Amino acid sequence: MKLTNKFTLWYFAIMLVVLLIGGAIVYYEIQWKISRVEVVRHQRLNDLIAQQISKGGDYTDHPTRKRATVREIPADSMPRGEQSYYTRGLNWNPEFQANEFRLVVTSFYTIHGRHYRIATYSFIPSFYQLLPGVVDSFKWILLLLLILVAISGKLIPKYILSPFKRTLKVIQCFDLKQRKSILLPETRTDEFKELNKFLKKMTDKALEDYQSLKEFAENASHELQTPTAIIRGKLDLLMESDIRDDQAILIAEMQTALEKLSRIHSSLTLLTKLENKEYTAGTPVCLSMLTRETLDSFEELIQMKSLTLSCHIEEKVYIPLHSSLADLLLTNLISNAIRHNIPGGNIKVILTKAGLIISNTGLQPQLPVSELFERFKKGDPASDSIGIGLAIVRQICDLMNFNIVYEYVSGQHLIAISFQPSLLASKLLQNLNFPLYTVMQP
Amino acid sequence: MKVLIIEDHQELARNIHDFLAKEGYICELSCTQEAAREKLGLFQYDCILLDIGLPDGNGLHLLDLIRKEHQDSNVLIISARNALDDKIIGLENGADDYLTKPFHLAELHARIRAVYRRKNLGGTHMIEFNEIMLNTDTFEVRIGNTTLDTTRKEFDLLLYFIVNKNRVLSRQAIAAHLWGDYTDNLANFDFVYQHVKNLRRKIAGAGGTDYISTVYGLGYRFDAHKHEAET
Repeated sequence: MKLTNKFTLWYFAIMLVVLLIGGAIVYYEIQWKISRVEVVRHQRLNDLIAQQISKGGDYTDHPTRKRATVREIPADSMPRGEQSYYTRGLNWNPEFQANEFRLVVTSFYTIHGRHYRIATYSFIPSFYQLLPGVVDSFKWILLLLLILVAISGKLIPKYILSPFKRTLKVIQCFDLKQRKSILLPETRTDEFKELNKFLKKMTDKALEDYQSLKEFAENASHELQTPTAIIRGKLDLLMESDIRDDQAILIAEMQTALEKLSRIHSSLTLLTKLENKEYTAGTPVCLSMLTRETLDSFEELIQMKSLTLSCHIEEKVYIPLHSSLADLLLTNLISNAIRHNIPGGNIKVILTKAGLIISNTGLQPQLPVSELFERFKKGDPASDSIGIGLAIVRQICDLMNFNIVYEYVSGQHLIAISFQPSLLASKLLQNLNFPLYTVMQP
Repeated sequence: MKVLIIEDHQELARNIHDFLAKEGYICELSCTQEAAREKLGLFQYDCILLDIGLPDGNGLHLLDLIRKEHQDSNVLIISARNALDDKIIGLENGADDYLTKPFHLAELHARIRAVYRRKNLGGTHMIEFNEIMLNTDTFEVRIGNTTLDTTRKEFDLLLYFIVNKNRVLSRQAIAAHLWGDYTDNLANFDFVYQHVKNLRRKIAGAGGTDYISTVYGLGYRFDAHKHEAET
């Protein structure tokens, strides 16, 4: 839900509560005010009557006496405190022939040593008659407010939130790789100022960290590769000297370990670079051609292992991938399919515009197949590989938003890569009925 | 052949120096750009090995100087940085080849020879060793008058052996030469064995001398004196 809609809804809720309470207040206020005004009027009238009595004379038919009762009372009936009080209640109004609200104001006077009680009354509008009016007017106020808030809820945020939206756009376009500090729009809103300040600080820090990470990766690569190169050179030279057989074995073992070290190192550096997204796709590569070339380069290895290779390679499959990465992807997958194969086994390569499927015969992996994508996980712990090839493959797929899946079904290792983010790779495996043609067989 | 090694790591420079000296190359070392500039100002070299990460600046700057004043020299970049950019920039600026550390010295030697052949021997693509003739243009191997039916890999292998004759070549060095070194392919050593076996069989089948011998535990050696020893 949009922020502005949330605000508007909250305003509606608050308005409703305020208007309900406000309505009640107005209702009671009017009620009280009407009574008050009437009471004051009647007190004045009572005072007037008292004056007439003190002047003396006959006022019996005087208009002031129309709704008044004057009675002389004994001294002990005089109230001690307040000289006036009023009562209200429903009474029969003979003029209108209806039960109406009657207000009676009773005052006490002492005139020339005699005590009087003067009471006047009048019929006032019933409070129940006022209620619909109050409700009606508040209904209109509420309607008006609703319309205004709804309109302003749409228009005002557009104006107020525009710096925020521009900031959002800038942040969405931010790319560590471009190594450009972000330029945020000016704003007069304190919160947005603070947000912009924070974002600026954060992205600058990220850029700085990225830079130092990159430098570290490059330095580490440089600093570690050189000693490795030195050791390797020394071993090469040592091999040329006059050595005994047992020493030769030691040198050979060192060579193997060194080889592994340098491979692990270069693979990890490569993974770091992939994670840093240092390879951006240029022009789309023709995967059909590249697949064929890669298969050709592995021809001898396939023959040596007496494997049968069959293919279905669709023409002109172009995907937007850095050519080195495409090469790496295919080489890793195909060399894996060869290496982890069984003698006399088979390899099937299916390339369509939707994706790539490579299947090969092989032994049951000792780990769940999904774990094989992790670094240094190997299906066969005894094998000589370093277990990083598939991690690189997955990293490339992640980078390109390709979906990849690995399955082991009845002696077949199946790896499928879907080139379309919307298509799950496992879907590709459901339809494997492509016309395969055999490229190589022992 | 005169070689200038521009490399700031003394030990590595000495390795290269020792290895190439055995081939009868005259090698000179410089550890900094300054020293290299001085040497380049005074002498001509057939081949320049250039490390990109030098203490006093990026070695790519030196490349411009070399291209301006030493058009005839071959330049081989040696770098620990596998960064693709460096590779492309280096080759665009006129380097002849690019080698990533850590490399095998035999590989370096093979690259130097290949670059040298490409540039200095002009039209000839023939490499001769006793009765063996290799045509680097058609990838054809001839023993005397017989043409050998070799695969591309076997051709590369034989060339590698001949360039690095009388040296022990480890299986790792051969695998790296034949398959490159960016895949996780340690199992390729079996394939090295297969290739060497096939190559030896083919040469022997054509009546050639079996120069290649196994060095216990380490790898193989192309023994240039075998022929003389036998006759």
